[in-house]
Amino acid sequence: MNVSAQDGGAPASARAPWPFRVPSAFWLIAPAVLFLVLFFVFPLLKLVAISLPDGSVEYYEQIFTTPVFLRVIGETFRVSLIVTVVTVAVAYPYAYAMAHGGRAALLILTVALLIPFWVSLLLRSFSWIVLLQNSGLINDFLIATGLIEKPVRLIRTPFGVMIGMVHILLPYAVLPLYTVMKKIDLRLMEASSICGASWFKGFMRIYFPLSMPGVAASAILAFTLALGFYITPALLGSPRDMMIAQMIAGQFNEQLNFGLGAALAVVLMVLTAIAVGLFGAARAVLQSRGRSKGGV
Amino acid sequence: MDRLRRMLFWVIVGVTALFLLLPTLIIVPMSFTTTTTLEFPPVGFTLDWYGKVIGAADWQSALINSLVVAVAAAALATVVGTAAALALHAHRFPGKTVVMGLLLSPMVTPVIVLAVGMYMVFSGWGLVATRLGLVLAHTVLAIPFVVVSVLASAGMVNPSLAPASLGLGASRWFTFRRVTLPLIMPGVLSGAVFAFITSWDEVVIALFLADAQTRTVPIMIWNQVRTNLDPATAAVAAILILLSALGVLLSYKFRDARP
Repeated sequence: MNVSAQDGGAPASARAPWPFRVPSAFWLIAPAVLFLVLFFVFPLLKLVAISLPDGSVEYYEQIFTTPVFLRVIGETFRVSLIVTVVTVAVAYPYAYAMAHGGRAALLILTVALLIPFWVSLLLRSFSWIVLLQNSGLINDFLIATGLIEKPVRLIRTPFGVMIGMVHILLPYAVLPLYTVMKKIDLRLMEASSICGASWFKGFMRIYFPLSMPGVAASAILAFTLALGFYITPALLGSPRDMMIAQMIAGQFNEQLNFGLGAALAVVLMVLTAIAVGLFGAARAVLQSRGRSKGGV
Repeated sequence: MDRLRRMLFWVIVGVTALFLLLPTLIIVPMSFTTTTTLEFPPVGFTLDWYGKVIGAADWQSALINSLVVAVAAAALATVVGTAAALALHAHRFPGKTVVMGLLLSPMVTPVIVLAVGMYMVFSGWGLVATRLGLVLAHTVLAIPFVVVSVLASAGMVNPSLAPASLGLGASRWFTFRRVTLPLIMPGVLSGAVFAFITSWDEVVIALFLADAQTRTVPIMIWNQVRTNLDPATAAVAAILILLSALGVLLSYKFRDARP
């Protein structure tokens, strides 16, 4: 029933006053649009419908009045925010080195950035389990250097989740920063030092403000992606530090409360849409300054 | 002072690079260990774990499922996505921004949201626990990558070539086959590789849509990691990394190929 409704929708727009040659554009684009409407938009709309049985907002009321849901949403925000700050802070010098460190550095750093980018998220989380476990490399190293005496619990803690998330988000954060930084003229910094400014002052007053569009773009991108993380928290975290994606999965897999799960999914969708909107705005600012095309 | 700052800077950058590479670098050596637990550095050298994985019936069927689904999803996404990208590139039409937004939005939608949404809809259509359901879902994820890749490639083509071919009397189809398609081929092929890898690595949607018969390699890994960590998982991981590396090399080869 719904299928035929979607089918009927698309050709109707073809009768709009299209300019010359457009029928061919229409036939080129129709399969992709139809496909996504059926298998992408429709499932999302279905979730909205399930979350509002008979137009009642009871599930949303339940989410926003029950402490456990509020805690998970709050935890998702907290983890995403910390992870974003750490990721951008680590990405900043890395992108700087790529932009201004010379050809050899650029090559090596790009390879180091792209290799993990191409290894699946699941495998990298698996690898972090091995590295962070009590008998893992990180604990062995800390014991060998005498920093600690017996293994510290790293896995199944918020710390483990954050390490794994920063690792996955880092390439996404570096690329927009690099795009902006490579267009910044370093002679501005020279000029400031000739005029007597210290390196730190020159950096804070000139370089950092110029790199701001990249910082904004990479922060919002990292935050958007962090909100929806499922695999990494599920493998590296404990159930106590659950994030919203795990809670959604739990409602569908274990609690079998589809209405509530759908409402949680809609909440995550809306939060992500807001973050993506901010990302778009940051990119628009970035482009209007004529510095780069930005983005990943 | 200046020297010190410079040195500190490069140390930080170096540690970051190590942090990025470490998890990938340790997986492959761990798959050769002779112990039954995951050890790094590995103890001894054996290929038994590879033999165990390659010989196991459930891994074999997962491998076949993964290959069938990824090839089908990549093919579907490439055809549909290339056509859409060409239209977006060559034509102006009302609602173009909206269409563009729709084509790219699967990239920014949280996968868990897509997974539960598709689960609800596909179960009504009898697509849950079928390979077709997985193919359709993975195609949704892959379309944006094909569109972006083909658009980038089409942007580099001299825009007067297709009109020239049409002006010389060639048909639209002939122009597409002999002029446009060869010129955008690098973008199409690298989009196809992206699409393949997207499906090949996908786990969240597969967790919701696949059953014991249709489960893919990532699902097998997920189950292993959740239950017992043994070197066989590292062997599978090493095989997957090798395949991804081949894919990346292919996609860069296509991208750099000059028509």
